[in-house]
Amino acid sequence: MLERFLSLFRIDTGKRERNQGTTVFWIIAGTASALLLMGWLLPWFVNDYSAGVGYSAQDALVSSPTGIGTFCIYIMAVAMIMLVVSPIAEAIARARGRAFGKRADRIRFIAALVGLALTAVVWFLVSVIQEEPLFGSFTAGTYTDSAVWLTMYGFAMAALAYGARDWVVARQSVAFGVAALPFGIFLPLMFHQAPDFLLWAAGSLAIYMLLALGLNVVVGFAGLLDLGYAAFFAIGGYACASFASPIHNIHLPLWVLIFLGAAVASMFGAVLGAPTLRLRGDYLAIVTLGFGEIIPDLATNNVFNLTGGANGISGIDQPHYGALDFSTSPRWYYWSLLIVSILVIIFLRNIERSRVGRAWVALREDEVAAAATGINTTTTKLLAFAIGASVSGLAGAFYGSIVSIVSPDDFSFSVSIAVLSIVVLGGIGNIVGVILGSFILTFVIFWVLPNMNEWTTTLSTTVHVPALAGIDFSSYTFIIYGLALIAMMLLRPGGLLPSRARRIELESGEESESLAAVQGVA
Amino acid sequence: MPLLELDSVTKRFGGLLAVSNVSFNLDSGEILSMIGPNGAGKTTAFNCVTGLFAISSGAIRFDGSSIAGLAPHRITKLGIARTFQNIRLFAYMTAVDNVMVGAHWWMKERVWDGAFRTARARREEKSVEQRALELLELLGLSRYAGSYAREMPYGLQRRLEIARALATQPRLLLLDEPAAGLNTQEKRELMQLIGVLRSEGLTILLIEHDMRLVMEVSDRIVVLDHGEKIAEGSPVDVRQNPRVIEAYLGTGATEVITSA
Amino acid sequence: MTIQSGTPEAPLAPLGDTSSGVGSPMLVDQRSLAPRRDQSNELVRSVGPVVRVAYGWISKHFAAVLLGMILVAIIATFKQGGLDLMGQQLRNALVLGAIYALVAIGYTMVYGIIELINFAHGDVFAAAGFYAVFIASTFHLDSLATGSFGGLILALIIVFPLSMLGAGITGVVIEFVAYRRLRDSPRLAPLITAIGVSFLIEGIMLVIEGPDNVATNQADWITGTAFTIGGVSVAWTDIFVVGMALFLMFALGEFVRRTRLGKAMRSTAQDRTAALLCGININRTISATFFIGSALAAAAAVIYSINYGDLKWNLGFHLGIIAFTAAVLGGIGNIVGAGVGGFIIGLIYVFGGSIFGGEWSESLIFAVLVLILTFRPVGLFGVEVTTRA
Repeated sequence: MLERFLSLFRIDTGKRERNQGTTVFWIIAGTASALLLMGWLLPWFVNDYSAGVGYSAQDALVSSPTGIGTFCIYIMAVAMIMLVVSPIAEAIARARGRAFGKRADRIRFIAALVGLALTAVVWFLVSVIQEEPLFGSFTAGTYTDSAVWLTMYGFAMAALAYGARDWVVARQSVAFGVAALPFGIFLPLMFHQAPDFLLWAAGSLAIYMLLALGLNVVVGFAGLLDLGYAAFFAIGGYACASFASPIHNIHLPLWVLIFLGAAVASMFGAVLGAPTLRLRGDYLAIVTLGFGEIIPDLATNNVFNLTGGANGISGIDQPHYGALDFSTSPRWYYWSLLIVSILVIIFLRNIERSRVGRAWVALREDEVAAAATGINTTTTKLLAFAIGASVSGLAGAFYGSIVSIVSPDDFSFSVSIAVLSIVVLGGIGNIVGVILGSFILTFVIFWVLPNMNEWTTTLSTTVHVPALAGIDFSSYTFIIYGLALIAMMLLRPGGLLPSRARRIELESGEESESLAAVQGVA
Repeated sequence: MPLLELDSVTKRFGGLLAVSNVSFNLDSGEILSMIGPNGAGKTTAFNCVTGLFAISSGAIRFDGSSIAGLAPHRITKLGIARTFQNIRLFAYMTAVDNVMVGAHWWMKERVWDGAFRTARARREEKSVEQRALELLELLGLSRYAGSYAREMPYGLQRRLEIARALATQPRLLLLDEPAAGLNTQEKRELMQLIGVLRSEGLTILLIEHDMRLVMEVSDRIVVLDHGEKIAEGSPVDVRQNPRVIEAYLGTGATEVITSA
Repeated sequence: MTIQSGTPEAPLAPLGDTSSGVGSPMLVDQRSLAPRRDQSNELVRSVGPVVRVAYGWISKHFAAVLLGMILVAIIATFKQGGLDLMGQQLRNALVLGAIYALVAIGYTMVYGIIELINFAHGDVFAAAGFYAVFIASTFHLDSLATGSFGGLILALIIVFPLSMLGAGITGVVIEFVAYRRLRDSPRLAPLITAIGVSFLIEGIMLVIEGPDNVATNQADWITGTAFTIGGVSVAWTDIFVVGMALFLMFALGEFVRRTRLGKAMRSTAQDRTAALLCGININRTISATFFIGSALAAAAAVIYSINYGDLKWNLGFHLGIIAFTAAVLGGIGNIVGAGVGGFIIGLIYVFGGSIFGGEWSESLIFAVLVLILTFRPVGLFGVEVTTRA
């Protein structure tokens, strides 16, 4: 079915992709269920009860049918329930040593397709043709765009997961991309009523994802633990701020600034990396930590009167090209960051599989042998630092432009640790893992926690427990980083989606001494 | 002109003289073995030649120009490749990748070629991979091309290390105890392999404890003891040298052996 | 010649006679046998030796350079504000140095024994400060301590052991939960865990104690000026801080030198496997190390709160890095070195601040950290060690 169709598009990811596993399959299936559930529940959350029979699936289910539309929703709801419940049932069955057969997959695939079609039909009837008689009367707010989008996307992902299970399992990374990319592209349309959500997605998620991808080059590919990674983020941010704000009266366009930020940061990456080249892993970590503290300190102390001191630089330009006004709608930032992220991911993936990527792995595995095999350890390490830093600088430039102000506090040690947590959580050395990690951690830290305060306050007023309102969940971020790092290292050192080699490496506990140690210079 | 010259090379670790005033030459196309008891300074001498250790005094010349003080990778670029006594493969890279790392220095692909996957880069990757597979094939390792180095049997890991060294396009190959841990069959194959390498024009410097192998393949032998060169010459000469017998078996052994 | 046979699992391919085929694949790339030149960059070749010599010189004379610079800073301070300022700053440096020294010993002991930068150590220090405040308020020590001299002694006798015990247990628990299982992992794993523990402790303190400075009453425990030399007044707290630190360091030194456990620690630090073979209980020894290190940090924290009178949730982070710098300066693993390093760092912090301005003090220490690790990772008194390839 879908599998056969997909196999026509054999996206070549290189023969060396060997990480076969069902993790991505379960992520896709689980996300599909979650999206369906969200789509189902959203209208109830967004509106007060919709009077009579409305679009919401649950409304239809609790009322008697009034027409063909309600009938459609009945069927849709059945498909939904099946797709929400069946993965759980399957997981339980699997845990008990039984498996669902191909037939179950085929049924669910058909259910997903039917659901998808019916959602489209219903959406068309309700919003375009306004076929009220088919549904009974409904008020203006009985359905939301977001709910429709989420439902449709959930069905589509379920169709992918069950229709092409073998393909998903065999080509994890590509499957993950196929599943996630459209969501990324359509997100501004899905949540066009919720600009805050978009801004979050564009701001925290994409920036942190870029940072994590960059750090992954240094920590994951080259095996150099960098604890001062926020320094390069700061350099990118300040580069953007200096060249696109009233402070020096220079106003360069954003696309220039991205390159500028990346270039300046990569330069610093190489310069700051140079003294660390001979150091052992843990000393390297602490030296980079030192740099990570010095750079914001320089900014705080307004070095050379360039950085605006503790208050930072404000009034950074936001691009404005005719109708494309970045300052009014977050969706333009969102899409540009999406494009940039995709490009970065492709570049990094290519580099990982190129000559340099191989050299990084060799260096990580055995520095002495790598040197004796003709790898210039100095330039290869510096290259890792420079490339990692450039991604960070690029993210910094975007960050400066989005929030329109940079100050030293934005680049503290906790940023470095947040990024490290993402990399560790997702899977050190695995790009897809890192992306997944950035989704999870930024979602929790930058969306759930800040909103938690609001939710608990509401909850405390409704259930009359004033103590709930007093909890400041935003102060729990440090605990979450800490727990994420400890738990991952103790329980699953490779991360959620480990790169295979790295996992064995981290679990096996073999390590070779550094070239400098052998040469007797460190 | 000799290919490799060691001119009164000395290496000191603090108070310990690991290599003391050792000189010998290695001609192009020759197979020279370095033997001596454990701790005689053989591997230290190797490390000095390959740039892992800076020598304390003396000179090392390769093809006429001094290589003392050069970084290891630059010495590799000049054409000296080596294997290690305690196998140092990239354990979690596949066999092909291990060999392809050997091609690292002479590949023309730059970072941006890799990032954009240009046609040039892809072409080169392909040809290097071909060569790597060819080397694996020739060494009988093609079955393991896709497995991690550490998953391979021990004897084959030794062979893979040689494949990686050959991928660096050496003129001189340094083998550090290549027969250690091999069974008789594998040793025989190793001997044949060394013969083939020589016949294809490679110069080889060998450290080995297996005397049968050493005596069979070497053109000349240098004997080290306590960091000093105590003998040099053809296998036959060295075998009969009283100082060598003494170094191996202790003082007084010469009488026993010669009288026997 | 041809190799026919091979091991059954991996037969060697028949190798063609070199003379027979030009086209047949060969092991040795014939083109590579031609002579070649060193193609490295001219600039690199000329600059390289210069850099190497400069590096060698600095790393050899690092101690002299650093101490010389400190001396210059002290003299500059003297020029700036005369003997009084210099004296005051020396006093400040000693007081600060004493605290750094106590914390640094914890870093150095742990690193010495399991080669781990215990990032959480600084946070154990901060947590111990809060323990002390808690103990003081539970036992109503504040009124006791400020009442009479005997009361003060009693209060100190209560607060020191209890908070040291608390911190020691914290340290042991951290080691048991977070580090023990990773003891044989590659260094990256316990290091990341250590950072995690550090953040966890900081996070807990943040949630409990809030984001702002927490003033403690211990500042009022010891008051008054002991004596004045010229324009330099030395408070009783200053004497208390330095005296207590020196006493604890001395006690630790004797402990490590004389007791069985101390010997076990030293042997475990040198070679864990050998120590194990000699019948030393490694786990208990390492736990004891964590206990002692954390207890010393707790003592430092009590001293800190008596001297400075406030605590903060993230106090341990920067103080930890600074103390770690002291440990590296003295040669990591070297307990006496850590003590001396602490005082040197105190000097750099105070006099560097008086020259460049206080806002630069921390950056200066971090810069020193980077410089030591770059030029002399073995510390001021260490000897270089070579591992064999």
